[in-house]
Amino acid sequence: MFPSLIRVISAMLFISVLFSPTNGLDRKISAHLNPGCQGCSSNTTTLVYIRGEGKSDVLHQIWDFTKHLPTVLLSVGSLNTSLNIQWIENKPIYFNWTEKPWYTFAATIDKLYEYDDIHDTGYINPQYPQMEYSLKRISWELQESILTNSEAMVHVTGKIHNRNNNDAVISIKLDLLPFKDYAVELPHLIHTANSTLIDVSLVNLTTSFNASRYALHFVLASTDNPTDTMHYIMRKSLDDEHTPGVFEIIEIKTPSLYDSKEGGYLQFRPVSYTSPKRNVASSTIAHVSQFNRTMMPRDSTLSLFFKESQQMILVQDMFVSFGESGDGYYKQHNYTAWAYTMGYGTPPEDGFSFFVILIISIGLGVPIVLALSGVAFVLFRRYRQTNTRTRFTNED
Amino acid sequence: MDNTESSSAGTPTSWCHPAHRVHRFFALLLMCFLCFGSYFCYDTPGALADNFKGDSHLNTSQFALLYSIYSWPNVVLCFIGGYLIDRYFGVRLGTVIYMSILFTGAILFALGVYINKFWLMILGRFVFGIGGESLQVAVNNYVVLWFKGKELNMVFGLQLSFSRFGSTVNFWVMEPIYHWVANYYGGYERLGVTLFIASMTCLGSLLCGLILGFMDYRAEKILERSEQHSNEPPFRMRDILNFKTVYWLLSIICVAYYVAIFPFIALGKLFFERKFDFNPQEANTVNSMVYFLSAALSPFFGILIDKTGRNVMWVILSIITTIGSHFLLAFTFVNPYVGVMSLGVSYSLLASGLWPLVAMIVPESQLGTAYGICQAVQNLGLATVIILAGVVVDKYGYLMLEMFFLGCLFIALIAAVLIYIVDSANSGVLNLSPQEREALKTATIQTDERANLLDHESSDPDEEARPSEDERDSVLTQSDRIRSRYISHILPNTNIPDRP
Repeated sequence: MFPSLIRVISAMLFISVLFSPTNGLDRKISAHLNPGCQGCSSNTTTLVYIRGEGKSDVLHQIWDFTKHLPTVLLSVGSLNTSLNIQWIENKPIYFNWTEKPWYTFAATIDKLYEYDDIHDTGYINPQYPQMEYSLKRISWELQESILTNSEAMVHVTGKIHNRNNNDAVISIKLDLLPFKDYAVELPHLIHTANSTLIDVSLVNLTTSFNASRYALHFVLASTDNPTDTMHYIMRKSLDDEHTPGVFEIIEIKTPSLYDSKEGGYLQFRPVSYTSPKRNVASSTIAHVSQFNRTMMPRDSTLSLFFKESQQMILVQDMFVSFGESGDGYYKQHNYTAWAYTMGYGTPPEDGFSFFVILIISIGLGVPIVLALSGVAFVLFRRYRQTNTRTRFTNED
Repeated sequence: MDNTESSSAGTPTSWCHPAHRVHRFFALLLMCFLCFGSYFCYDTPGALADNFKGDSHLNTSQFALLYSIYSWPNVVLCFIGGYLIDRYFGVRLGTVIYMSILFTGAILFALGVYINKFWLMILGRFVFGIGGESLQVAVNNYVVLWFKGKELNMVFGLQLSFSRFGSTVNFWVMEPIYHWVANYYGGYERLGVTLFIASMTCLGSLLCGLILGFMDYRAEKILERSEQHSNEPPFRMRDILNFKTVYWLLSIICVAYYVAIFPFIALGKLFFERKFDFNPQEANTVNSMVYFLSAALSPFFGILIDKTGRNVMWVILSIITTIGSHFLLAFTFVNPYVGVMSLGVSYSLLASGLWPLVAMIVPESQLGTAYGICQAVQNLGLATVIILAGVVVDKYGYLMLEMFFLGCLFIALIAAVLIYIVDSANSGVLNLSPQEREALKTATIQTDERANLLDHESSDPDEEARPSEDERDSVLTQSDRIRSRYISHILPNTNIPDRP
């Protein structure tokens, strides 16, 4: 029994190592802060350019805070494509490609909305009283960064200026780890060489309504047909091992990904946290609104990047709001953190972990083996008893 | 009070007479309600799980501790709770004392929630636990006192079914009560007030206890009944040495199987809400199905097992169907009613098949010890496992929790298969049909087995003193009480087999 069990376990170990997400780097990355900028202070100007070289293509990523709206751009091109950024003082003015990229997907957070959730649902509704706060008013400060061949990470914070409150901060962390694995922190999203982890926290914001909640306003842009639309996909998974208690995964897919399995996406779990110490008790729901067609924000990284082809780009907006009925609104904790990944290609899916497969195999295997050996033992014993009895009879 | 009826022999004509059918039915009604409050309040956290998370901000580990702490005092109390009643309190005072402890516990718990102090919630649940299990023992004593003889098993089953019904009702009504309270209070205060209202069921049970106490006092006087006190604790450590391997395997099932049921119900509400998108009320209704089915089906399964025998096969079958139910809940999105209802059916079937086995393999004189140990290890198992289950949910999620339950059930299955093997290797009595058992009994036991069993210590047949009819009667009553005391607590509701 044991040798066969050991064989099964070692075979499974082998398989799990073979398919292990951490078996090596999938893209060779090189990351630079403010490349080509002479007059940039490394604290107040943050534009990160990452070139991720794969076997047959290059994924270029730009994380930009210089035009105040936090923006992430992903462009895919041939191995020959490279990007030069031209600057005037500490502002980029031109993205110069050696060869036009095949596909680009970008997302920017342009506004923060405070709304009065009068029905206590967590969703933002245009009919609710609300106030918008443009992130144009925020100057971002780089708090920490890691820019190496194995990781690119920046953490920036922006103060929200308010007469009564000087502590209000939006904090954004972007992290690119060029291999497939689960993120260290809850909600343990899957990162790949083709995606970046983005973590947004809203800390100590003042509230103006009794039932104030906050929502982030996103503008999404992709080099797809402008008459097409982004797709909202909610998948249910059986496995909540990595995000305890959350069985849903939400994906926002660009039309090209939706139609042909290659394109840009946002992926996240519908969960946000109301405390820096993330756990099940501090979790609440993150809601996504419908998409609406919109324009690119003026004087933004997006409008600069797509300057020559603005009419050819699909641009849509959406809200992500936080909270659920009965949670005491934003003011209860004065803190909301939410994480998503933004990437290119096919969004990663998680499967059952090795541990789950192991327990099922042992759990099913051992009783079956035991039952079979038990039946064999009983049959053997009965057979012997019958034989003994027959012998006695013969002797009589 | 019509005292003229009291002394008359034969069938009493006034319903005020304690021996009258109506009078006893009223007593039965009160007995049913005695445990209603404790069962109702035991599962209030489970029925309000999401509110404990939302209003009191408890994580699953803290929430699980509310259940775990209930089991801790009972690891010890299951041995002495009944003894204290027999020796010191008497059944009437004992019931009122345990009921008051229970009520105090429920109030402390509600107060802890109302002022949002976790330590007070824990203290409340601990005190509640002290009262809860011992109360069941007291109520069993009442049942035996009032209904010994033919009606005992039926009354016993009815009383237990009704207690389980308390849990079911709790799952049905707590959510509407909470919403009603939420109109007037907010935050953790609304949860506290909801629990104060729930604790009123314990007050109701306490009133039933007082009325029943008065009725019992009156009955004792009118019927000139003397309560039989046992001077020895039913638990004797040296009995342990005599227990066979099969008994210890049964104890393993008793822990490994039940930890895959009760903690699942305790933590189930949020699981149904999150995985299957049920609203809180629907989640409570599906969660209550296990108790509801066990209350409804156990009597029928009792009869089924009485008629068919082959207990070990039934136990193995029910463990396998329980594994199947947990598989459905863990690995599919099939409507959870299917999984939970098959879980409820399997659970009732297992209880009906498993507990009579203990009575078959342990001599009656040692039943007290045997059930006491089963109950203690089960409480110990529940107390530790439910903490572990909470941590698993917080760290690794519900799928892992299900994996954990499946792991426990696999252990139970292995133990059950081992019982089958060990039993087959010996005589195979445990898995016989009733006819075969009867045949075996008449073939091998010609002497009065019961006398042998009751006088187990004197193994030399020459020295064996046959008890007189009176002595035997009193010993039988005593053994009835021991058996019912222990059996009732562990099984949801089961027909206790008639003694051979």
